[in-house]
Amino acid sequence: MNPSLDYRPLYNAFREIISVINSSIRLKDVMDLVVWKYSEVLGARGAIMRLLNIDTDELEISASYGISQAYLAKGPVSLHRTITDACRQKKVILIEDIVNDPRVQYPESAREEGYRFIIDVPLSVADNVVGIIRLFFSEIRRFSEAELDWIIAIAEQCSCALGKARLIDSYEFKYLQLATHAEKLSALGRMAAGIAHEINNPLAGILLYSSNMIKKVPPGEPIEEGLQIIIDETIRCRKIIQGLLDFSKGRDPRKEPTNINEIIDKSIKILENEFHIHRVNLRTHLASDMIDVMADGSQLEQVFVNLLINAVEAVPEGGTVEVISSVGESRTSITIEVKDNGPGIGKKERDKIFEPFFSTKSKGTGLGLAVSYGIIRNHHGEISLQSHPGKGTRFIITIPVSQDTDSGLAGISTQETP
Amino acid sequence: MKILIVDDEYVIRHGCRMILEEQGYTVETTATCGEAIDAVSSNAYDLVLLDLKLPDRDGTELFKAVPRGINGYPRIIVMSGYINLRNNMSAVDQARFDFLPKPFTDEELLAAVEQNTMG
Repeated sequence: MNPSLDYRPLYNAFREIISVINSSIRLKDVMDLVVWKYSEVLGARGAIMRLLNIDTDELEISASYGISQAYLAKGPVSLHRTITDACRQKKVILIEDIVNDPRVQYPESAREEGYRFIIDVPLSVADNVVGIIRLFFSEIRRFSEAELDWIIAIAEQCSCALGKARLIDSYEFKYLQLATHAEKLSALGRMAAGIAHEINNPLAGILLYSSNMIKKVPPGEPIEEGLQIIIDETIRCRKIIQGLLDFSKGRDPRKEPTNINEIIDKSIKILENEFHIHRVNLRTHLASDMIDVMADGSQLEQVFVNLLINAVEAVPEGGTVEVISSVGESRTSITIEVKDNGPGIGKKERDKIFEPFFSTKSKGTGLGLAVSYGIIRNHHGEISLQSHPGKGTRFIITIPVSQDTDSGLAGISTQETP
Repeated sequence: MKILIVDDEYVIRHGCRMILEEQGYTVETTATCGEAIDAVSSNAYDLVLLDLKLPDRDGTELFKAVPRGINGYPRIIVMSGYINLRNNMSAVDQARFDFLPKPFTDEELLAAVEQNTMG
């Protein structure tokens, strides 16, 4: 440190400006605070913050302080090369000749407002230009190296704060989207349950009469075949509705001995139509020696439906999805695999795939796999993914048969020690 | 064997009655909870087929109103799939009813009736 330079005023100003900027997480507030504090501490007449619009490659006015409406009404400034260069080098640009400098787009207006000196402070995160703060002064100022360095230091902190505020904004937006979606789903679930119960009554009438009538028809009569069809199709309706009701039930994990093959069959039944529409081949290899596990059937059904939907959407027409269930060697756990021969998942996505809000679909909530992950964990099981671009995708789930001796529950005993 | 059918839908009452009478059971029907309670209070039924969604009151009110006779009769078959029901019931009540979710075939109905009227 240079002993002859008094850092205290710079440090105090730094401290003040940074604590004010960090006092809010809302993007709008942070932007307003930055332009205000920067102007105040540097003694500028005013400041304009322009942030880069990635789509239009233009710097758009995001916040201003001390600037007249007339001046602000001037159009957007396009990204001048010298500005981007300055951003990358983290240099403050000093503009003394307002009239002739190409970087000042409206020199007459600037003169009219009484500006005689302009400095551009680049805002960047890593090597990316995020924006520019342009400060306007009434007279020409000289800044020492230390002061210019200090100005950049503030800019770095501002960029950070802006970046974080933007992130929080985007999360808040996603959260709202999600909450709306969840509310819609919940309403849909309630409606589905209501409809299901309503339909059961007329179906009851159809089944009662058709099953009784078929006994009153001489065997071999053509009408018998028709009645049998009515009976079969009505029973099919029954299964579909039961599947719907099971699926829309609440989230309380009610564990009971469950045959996973039955759950897999139910899940496949629910998506029969999807497989058909997308012309996807489905193959199942379900263990004939499957043993029951303590599980909440409807929650596991949710997991399988989620994996199957993803698989159907991943493979092209004519593609194949396989479901395999097996019992572990020691017969203390079971394994379920959902495989597809789709394009596979790259490393970047693989790392994030179970994260909430992560989605590769434009309309996805990004919650399917996160919720599935949670459900499997609630069953003390594991869910993992094997995939490579061009080599398809395999989701592997293992669930222990009984969950009494889980190490995660050490210390919590439901039995008395003898 | 005397059976009471409680359902607000004509088709269900009529259909079940037809099937049961063909097998020799004596069948009576009502369409509301209030009527059902009256009927059970003044008659000795062996079995009640009960729908829970009734126009005047919830079908579960029948449980409180129906006296538990000898050997747990009349038994009650609830024509619904509500599993949550069990949680709100005493152990005694839980022992006296069965589920037969709609829709059911004539065979399923007869099997349930047989099961619930044999001691």
